Amino acid sequence: MDNIGIFLQIMFWGLYAGCIYILLATGLNLIFGVMKIVNFAHGEFLMIGAYITATVFLLTGINPYVILLLSMLVLIGIGAVVERLCFRPILGTGKLNEIFLSIGLIYIFQNGAAMIWGDAWQSVKSPYDGITIPVGSLNVPIDYIIIIGFTAAILIALFLFLKKTRIGMEMRATSQNRKGAKLVGINVERIDVISFGIGCALAAAAGTLWVVSGQVFNPYMGSIPAVKAFAIIILGGLGSIPGAIIGGLLLGIAENSAAFYLGGVWKDAVSFIILIIVLVVRPTGLFGEKGE
Amino acid sequence: MNFGRNELIKYGLVATLGIAAAFPFISDSMFLLNLIVLMLISIIFASAWNLLAFSGQGSLGHAAFLGIGAYASTLIAIQSGISPFITIFLGATVAAFIGVLIGLTCVRLKEWFLAMVTFGFAIIVQALTVSVLAPMTGGWDGIASPRLVSPSIPGYQLIEYYAIFVITIASLIAIWYIMKSRLGLAFLAIRENELEARAAGVDPVRYRLIAFAMSAYLAGIAGALQIHHIGYITPELYGVDNSFWPITFVILGGLGTLAGPVIGTVVLTIIWEGLKATGLTFGRYVIVGFILILTIIFLPKGLVNLPERLQVWWKGRGRKENGEELQTG
Repeated sequence: MDNIGIFLQIMFWGLYAGCIYILLATGLNLIFGVMKIVNFAHGEFLMIGAYITATVFLLTGINPYVILLLSMLVLIGIGAVVERLCFRPILGTGKLNEIFLSIGLIYIFQNGAAMIWGDAWQSVKSPYDGITIPVGSLNVPIDYIIIIGFTAAILIALFLFLKKTRIGMEMRATSQNRKGAKLVGINVERIDVISFGIGCALAAAAGTLWVVSGQVFNPYMGSIPAVKAFAIIILGGLGSIPGAIIGGLLLGIAENSAAFYLGGVWKDAVSFIILIIVLVVRPTGLFGEKGE
Repeated sequence: MNFGRNELIKYGLVATLGIAAAFPFISDSMFLLNLIVLMLISIIFASAWNLLAFSGQGSLGHAAFLGIGAYASTLIAIQSGISPFITIFLGATVAAFIGVLIGLTCVRLKEWFLAMVTFGFAIIVQALTVSVLAPMTGGWDGIASPRLVSPSIPGYQLIEYYAIFVITIASLIAIWYIMKSRLGLAFLAIRENELEARAAGVDPVRYRLIAFAMSAYLAGIAGALQIHHIGYITPELYGVDNSFWPITFVILGGLGTLAGPVIGTVVLTIIWEGLKATGLTFGRYVIVGFILILTIIFLPKGLVNLPERLQVWWKGRGRKENGEELQTG
């Protein structure tokens, strides 16, 4: 393959990796926007979503893209419980406390999953494995195209939910002004639970897409993507969903280029190098207008 | 009553360290001796993290400084042949210098950005260690590190034990002194209210960097001690686990206090080793996770605060029985 071919290939990998980051970062942005909490354990929901999809798929053989919905529903439940039992009692006690609490959650989820599923690297084969579509000079696996389509569909659905439904409007109101939302009769605690649940469901979708693409997964896979998702929402500017999308794609492409040209160990490191450079040069993020 | 509580903690601290000091005379179990050595090193590391948290900065990547101190000390000792007793301090200085550089990138940012930058920094350092620096560091395989006390000297284990014990005590005294001094007050002022601190003439950027340097220095010492004790170093030292342990120790013991890291480390090490005896593997971490979350929610000031909490609870109970109204404070 020529250089342009390799370049296109990397762009495509980046696009696909970016999709997973976008879903993760959008969920985090939603939770951060409404509750103003920093949950570093968000990646664990991605991991749980991945395992639910993989387990149900291996047991029943149902198309994994259908299991996506089940996985999202289960994670809404888990998210609601975590919000109610862990984050609500410490709401408003400071960002550091939230970070420390998420470390406890990371311990529990990672090792709980290891107790259930073991800690070995696993992978599953998508039913469409091996089917490719020629796009220009390269053959793109059909799974990648479905994944990109699913991500777009989920983001559009979320957008419509936030714009058109009553709960969506209440969520936006709460994120703009919590006290004001309370004054006009919005049950902000209910909105917190819903936002956290939806955020977790988006993480579950990301986990499902991770599994379907044939990538390996284990109980410890979630912590680094979660911190990267935070890096993305900072790159894109806090609270900005378009910023998160652009940031996610940017990071996906940068990582895959780094992995290809510099070697695999730089895949994770390069995202943080970008983050540090951006924070030094432009502390409000690439597209952010103002800080929180 | 406050006096009594402080006395209790002080005596507890002295008793703990007394037991550690006298331990080799009580038991000749090498396993326990080794365990206490690692515990003492954890105390230094947790105290280092705590000092940074004392100034209002929470790091999620302190393993980076643990590792930098360890690698720098090992490499200096190997290249120059200087005794590890000296190189641990040189290694720690390197860690402190790099700590200031990392601190510089985020002193002006929101508190939790620092958590992310430090977390990422540990990953960057690990990537550097196994790629660009691999010819020196041995890559993923690691390299042998000179022992703190050469095994050819008779009784070297005891010498090493007491050396580490003395360094631990010295670190704790240094931290106690820092916390009591003007420097500590400045840290406290920044943590509580940056704007007011600035108004009172405390430059937050400068003091944050000082806290960063001191914390990274102590973490570097802990890393170097650990590596010279074990005799081998691998990039695993930069792992997320090593970044999270000091946080768990400090939160359990009591954030921002001198005794907190010591109590947290001792209690959690005992729990951890006790659970090991029951044959749990992943379950141990799950239990630690629950302990951490329950502490944050129900005992936000940590175990250090437990005597006072019990006292309040005991008094409240008495009042209730007498039919009096419960009073707070």
